[in-house]
Amino acid sequence: MAQITLQNLKKSFGKTNVLKDISLEIKDGSFTILLGPSGCGKSTLLRILAGLEEESSGHIYMDTKEITYNEPKDRDIAMVFQNYALYPHMTVYQNIEYGLKIKKIPKAERKQMVTGVLEMVELTDHAQKRPNQLSGGQRQRVALARAIVKRPGAFFMDEPLSNLDAKLRNHMRQELIELQAQLKTTFLYVTHDQVEAMSMGTHIIILNQGEVMQQGTPKEIYTNPQNLFVAQFIGSPPVNIMKQGDYSIGIRPENIRLVQAFDPAEDTYQIDGELLSTEQLGGETIYRVKTEYGKLNVKTPSRWDSIDKPVQLTFSKEDVLFFGEDGNRIAPQYELLEDLRVAPQLHFA
Amino acid sequence: MRQRKLSISTILQHTLLILLSLIAIFPLYWMIISSLKNEADIFNSSIIPWNATFSNYVYAFQEMPILRMMLNSFVMATLLTAFQLITSILTSYALVRWQVKGSTFIYLLISLSWLIPMQVIMIPNYVLVNQMGLNETLLGIVIPLSVSTFAILSLYQSFRSFPKALIDSARLDGEKDFFILVKVILPNLKSTIASLGILLFINGWNEYLWPMLITTEMENAPIQIGLRSFVNSDVNMWGSLMAATTISCLPILVIYFILRKHIIESFVRYGIK
Repeated sequence: MAQITLQNLKKSFGKTNVLKDISLEIKDGSFTILLGPSGCGKSTLLRILAGLEEESSGHIYMDTKEITYNEPKDRDIAMVFQNYALYPHMTVYQNIEYGLKIKKIPKAERKQMVTGVLEMVELTDHAQKRPNQLSGGQRQRVALARAIVKRPGAFFMDEPLSNLDAKLRNHMRQELIELQAQLKTTFLYVTHDQVEAMSMGTHIIILNQGEVMQQGTPKEIYTNPQNLFVAQFIGSPPVNIMKQGDYSIGIRPENIRLVQAFDPAEDTYQIDGELLSTEQLGGETIYRVKTEYGKLNVKTPSRWDSIDKPVQLTFSKEDVLFFGEDGNRIAPQYELLEDLRVAPQLHFA
Repeated sequence: MRQRKLSISTILQHTLLILLSLIAIFPLYWMIISSLKNEADIFNSSIIPWNATFSNYVYAFQEMPILRMMLNSFVMATLLTAFQLITSILTSYALVRWQVKGSTFIYLLISLSWLIPMQVIMIPNYVLVNQMGLNETLLGIVIPLSVSTFAILSLYQSFRSFPKALIDSARLDGEKDFFILVKVILPNLKSTIASLGILLFINGWNEYLWPMLITTEMENAPIQIGLRSFVNSDVNMWGSLMAATTISCLPILVIYFILRKHIIESFVRYGIK
């Protein structure tokens, strides 16, 4: 178990700055997700932490020990790769045993460790098979077993589920959460998939263009985004952004209500719109509505009745996110909403 | 069962292919039947050797230490293959594994060296081998040819396409750099290296000009040099030449029958040289 601390970590390839001065703490025993769009530097960051790539400057600590210049094998970590990276010429058993052999662990002990891990990932019957005889999910479990058997201080995972089909991915997500709960070890998990991040992480770090945009619990990230990038990156469909002069205001699709008969409750804001499309997702429905502020998404629990084209959207001011010119979150500026405010008397007139 | 229809284009294609195969095989066939003809029939254009005789073979064996020279050829080709494989594996691994400054430049230099013809460096090499006292030895033949640019360039491509994650994984497992090559990379490139090895062996077996410079005694020379001795300014002993050539082809033929699949694969992979 280990806490990992990054201090002023920088990385550039030639003139491109891939990581710009990153300082972070990855808490001991946390399931931390490095989330960001492709090319944001998240995989590079993970590889630097693993020692597979060299940083341009900065320091890395594991607990209090500096590991910046340590070889990968001396960092007390194990890594699971996107393509599993199993040795094709070795059996499942040999794949898991390989690292232990190099560490010169005695044979009897090795056998005990490998058998134990095989049981844990339910692959005992497949021990003598080659990776190409296994399904994607089984390969993934071998890759996990190979990491687990090393009993590392931290697990690094680089998009480990992206090669699996949707159903298996959901299943493996559950398994990883349970595994982490069982091992109580630090997990550092790289993904571009916000669903994975939100569902698995106890802690999320959002990267964009080599900079940390925000870090926090999934709830903090979702309900309290610090800037436009985070607000737009997290949430499906993404947050609705309306331009009001230099400012942007954002409302999440599920915080907008779609009405056809107006309810003059206090502090309600209203936008007129025209229904463009309806997307039934089963449990919920997404409506796309054209308004004078652009096309807005509305997400509601499913209602199966058909809706007339002219619709009205209402929302509460507490759910509105305000962003300044630079895209950073600012304190609520309710006067920006004045245009949208419903004057009840006017309505009833 | 549905009957397969032969379309005209299939027939044309196959006729063409059969024709081309015959053209390719005919010289070999001619070589074999000529080796069985006696002196009088040698310029006879009959394609069947009516009065087959083994006298040419007997004569060839009397004239030349054929077995000894074939052994020379075999040792030479094996050593060349081994050296060229080792040097090209190490070079490719170094170039791919460590992206140091200037590695592209080194690769460029190696590529360019392929453009320098053997004939240009033959004389300096000869002088050097002479000074080292390696004349008349197989080592003298092998050492200057122990690095093959062709082999390096071919393997470099395979090494480059080798999944990097496997190497990373081995590094995380704590494997040493040399053993990453031996235990992780090479076992997975077995067929590539086997194909390349076969090509290098055939090239080595056919080496002619350079061994001719280094050796003067028949006992020290590979078989290809020996063949030449049947053709000289006074008499051309075609019958014996064909007999000896047929014998010299046998080992390659045997290897071909054993490794047929690999050889075809290696020709497909590296193109016919």
